[in-house]
Amino acid sequence: MTKYTKDEQALIWLCACTELEPRERAELLRVAGAPAALFERFEFFYEKTFGRECPCKELEDRKRDLGGFLREAEEKGYFAVTVLSRDYPDGLKAAFPPLVLFGAGRRELLQEELFCIVGSRITPPWAEKFGMDIAQKLSSRFAVVTGLAEGGDLAAVRGALLSGKLVCVLPCGLDECYPAAHAAIKEEVRRVGLLLSEYPFREKTKKYSFHARNRILAGLCRGVLVLSAGEKSGALLTANAALEYGRDVFAVPYNPGISRGVGCNELLKKGAYVCTCAQDIFDCYGILPEEEKAAALTADEEKLYNVLHSEGELHAAVLAERAGIPVYEAAALLASLELKGLVVKAGGNRYGCVK
Amino acid sequence: MIAKIICYALSGLDGVPVEVETDVNRGVPSYDMVGLPDTAVKESKERVRSALKNSGLLFPMNRITVNFAPADLKKEGASFDLAIAISLLKASEQLIGADVSDTVFLGELALNGDLRPIGGLLPILISAKGHGFTRFVIPAANAKEARFLGGAEIYPAETLLDVVNHLIGAAPIEPLETAEFAVCKKRTSSADLKYVKGQPMARRAIEIAVAGGHNLLMIGPPGTGKTMLARCLPTIMPDLSFEEALEITKIHSVAGILGEEGIVTERPFRTPHHTATTVSMCGGGNRVVHPGEISLAHGGVLFLDELPEYKRSTLEALRQPLEDGQITISRSGGTCSYPSRFMLCASMNPCPCGNYGSANLVCTCTPAEIRRYRKKISGPLLDRIDLQVEVDNISYDELTSAGKREDSETVKERVNFARKIQRNRFSGCKLRTNAEMGEREIDEFCGLGAESEKILRDAFERMRLSARARARIIKVSRTIADLDGCENILPKHVFEAVSYRLEEKF
Repeated sequence: MTKYTKDEQALIWLCACTELEPRERAELLRVAGAPAALFERFEFFYEKTFGRECPCKELEDRKRDLGGFLREAEEKGYFAVTVLSRDYPDGLKAAFPPLVLFGAGRRELLQEELFCIVGSRITPPWAEKFGMDIAQKLSSRFAVVTGLAEGGDLAAVRGALLSGKLVCVLPCGLDECYPAAHAAIKEEVRRVGLLLSEYPFREKTKKYSFHARNRILAGLCRGVLVLSAGEKSGALLTANAALEYGRDVFAVPYNPGISRGVGCNELLKKGAYVCTCAQDIFDCYGILPEEEKAAALTADEEKLYNVLHSEGELHAAVLAERAGIPVYEAAALLASLELKGLVVKAGGNRYGCVK
Repeated sequence: MIAKIICYALSGLDGVPVEVETDVNRGVPSYDMVGLPDTAVKESKERVRSALKNSGLLFPMNRITVNFAPADLKKEGASFDLAIAISLLKASEQLIGADVSDTVFLGELALNGDLRPIGGLLPILISAKGHGFTRFVIPAANAKEARFLGGAEIYPAETLLDVVNHLIGAAPIEPLETAEFAVCKKRTSSADLKYVKGQPMARRAIEIAVAGGHNLLMIGPPGTGKTMLARCLPTIMPDLSFEEALEITKIHSVAGILGEEGIVTERPFRTPHHTATTVSMCGGGNRVVHPGEISLAHGGVLFLDELPEYKRSTLEALRQPLEDGQITISRSGGTCSYPSRFMLCASMNPCPCGNYGSANLVCTCTPAEIRRYRKKISGPLLDRIDLQVEVDNISYDELTSAGKREDSETVKERVNFARKIQRNRFSGCKLRTNAEMGEREIDEFCGLGAESEKILRDAFERMRLSARARARIIKVSRTIADLDGCENILPKHVFEAVSYRLEEKF
């Protein structure tokens, strides 16, 4: 069983006390000096700090249950990384550090250099594919940090799952899953990567917890890539937090007029780095490019690909006509190109070029 | 005196012989019916009484007992009227010299003595012929339906008096001439592929679907022509063979929806509304089990427009008939089976607002909403749909070749070609189309080269296809190869089959 010191146990208990606001907890710790001291004489310090009696009587009960709480976490395979732990990520200290991070999976990933990829829930198919590829490439040098939502997050998750260098930070306790439909992928991440959460494991998602989670994403990583962001996207919150903590911010450029890319283009205007391939990010950190093998294409595939490459996104029938290939044969060729990772289905029989 | 007349009742698609026994005795005048007749049969008392009187025949003022044997079978409907009338006449000695022993009498009586048509005549004739009966008296209005039964003497009669005159030899009725089955040359539906604008991908998909008997799902925004495409399906399906036509006619005859023709000459196209209940879809009823939409679509197309709007339980009920090609319905009154080998064609919008994947309209649905919408169709059902194709609303000004549109006849020729290959392939077994193949047949007929195997493996990894999708893809590739006239499945066939599979989200 993982051994926690008295101070660490006190911190875990404090974290389990969700009745207290994070700011209140920090204040209490400041006044008490040491977590263990706060644990011993909680009511005394509470009165000293806030000048009134603690209204919540459950906190005392929870002290008695702490052993059970830790045992349950242990049984479920969760571990707690506290601010006092040796492997607590330094980067987080800038980001109003969570006192405890509950984790499941490969704890050693915290030692890796982390890079964050985020995107809004509604991300165009080509950007999802692009995000997948980037995540896959980045995971050769970084561990990828992201959330578990649809769209951009999921693209990053899928890209990095192959290498397993993947950290997902949840806006809820580790038992919960938001969105619920991603329960299977959450288990997959837990198996090959690392799940993190600052909440006790049964805590449900709250409105504000996404905001709080985004600060952890930004704090953990060296840089953030924004795959897609509308005018008011959660991805922008992460990017802003990252700027605040002095991280590098990258954004994927969009055509003007695409509402899902307005936020990205705004970031670029404000001076974010442009990212059109993984090497853009590697260049920033002085990582040399690796030789990439171009996929072998047949003559017909080449024809189709060239047309699509110059146009960006096209309807399959238009594409086939321009390339001079019968539609049904084009369907087969496009499926082949899709398997080779060069094009992606954009819905409505349209195809987009990703490389 | 006792008279015995043979008549038929229906149980599912099978006719069951019923003996109508009538005894006319001296005594206080009375008229009783025994042997489990239902209300409609009991009411025949009044019809028979009036019909006899109005035909100038005598209704015996004696003690009359009519018995239906076997007594344990529940008799329903008005088709026994003629048999009761004839047995009464025979028992009251008004048909001296007439031989009625081996004749089957079928028909409902009007009060003035006219004979009215009955439902389910063809299945009764076929069963009765199987039981060794070869002489029938039927209502003239049913003659069209009956004339396809060869090897039997069938006498169509207009009125009860005609029947009596025929039996006593006063005015014999000419037996029906057996008609040759001819496929309807002129279609009643005006749908034709040449009126479908653009949609090259969907056109190709329905061609493959029909060629291999695969089920089809069309996904697309409202107003993009999904329904029109579906209506073209019967126009490119192979012509009915006589056996098939007879089988379909039997079902339609039982359901009472047989048209003027008397035999079904076109493949059925059934479009139950999405408010359909499970019973109307699968068949059922209180005592007599009526065929449902899936049986009425046997040999043709069952088109479910707006698939997610159907009740979940109704859709799930389709799973077993889709697999087995027949449905067995059990009620307390008995069990019966109806064939239901239909091609399922369904259509749906891509999301609640309908604009997902549209080139120029903005979809306002959240991913969760889209997921909820698509989840209405269960995985196992989706799994039985081999081809999933997107129908789009691209403006076809962009396409110069849009003017060149094939008509249904041209496509039908290619379908017939592919079907012929399949007939030869399955000549030894009872399969008809590629879609019906099981694991054993896939192993036997769908050998993939090493390259194709690799493509399939890649597709599984890249597109996260479920393992169960594999067999479906292989079967579709087999059909595409057949359309191509290729004996072996080539990589391009596999690729095309893969492209008709929508990515299954994690």
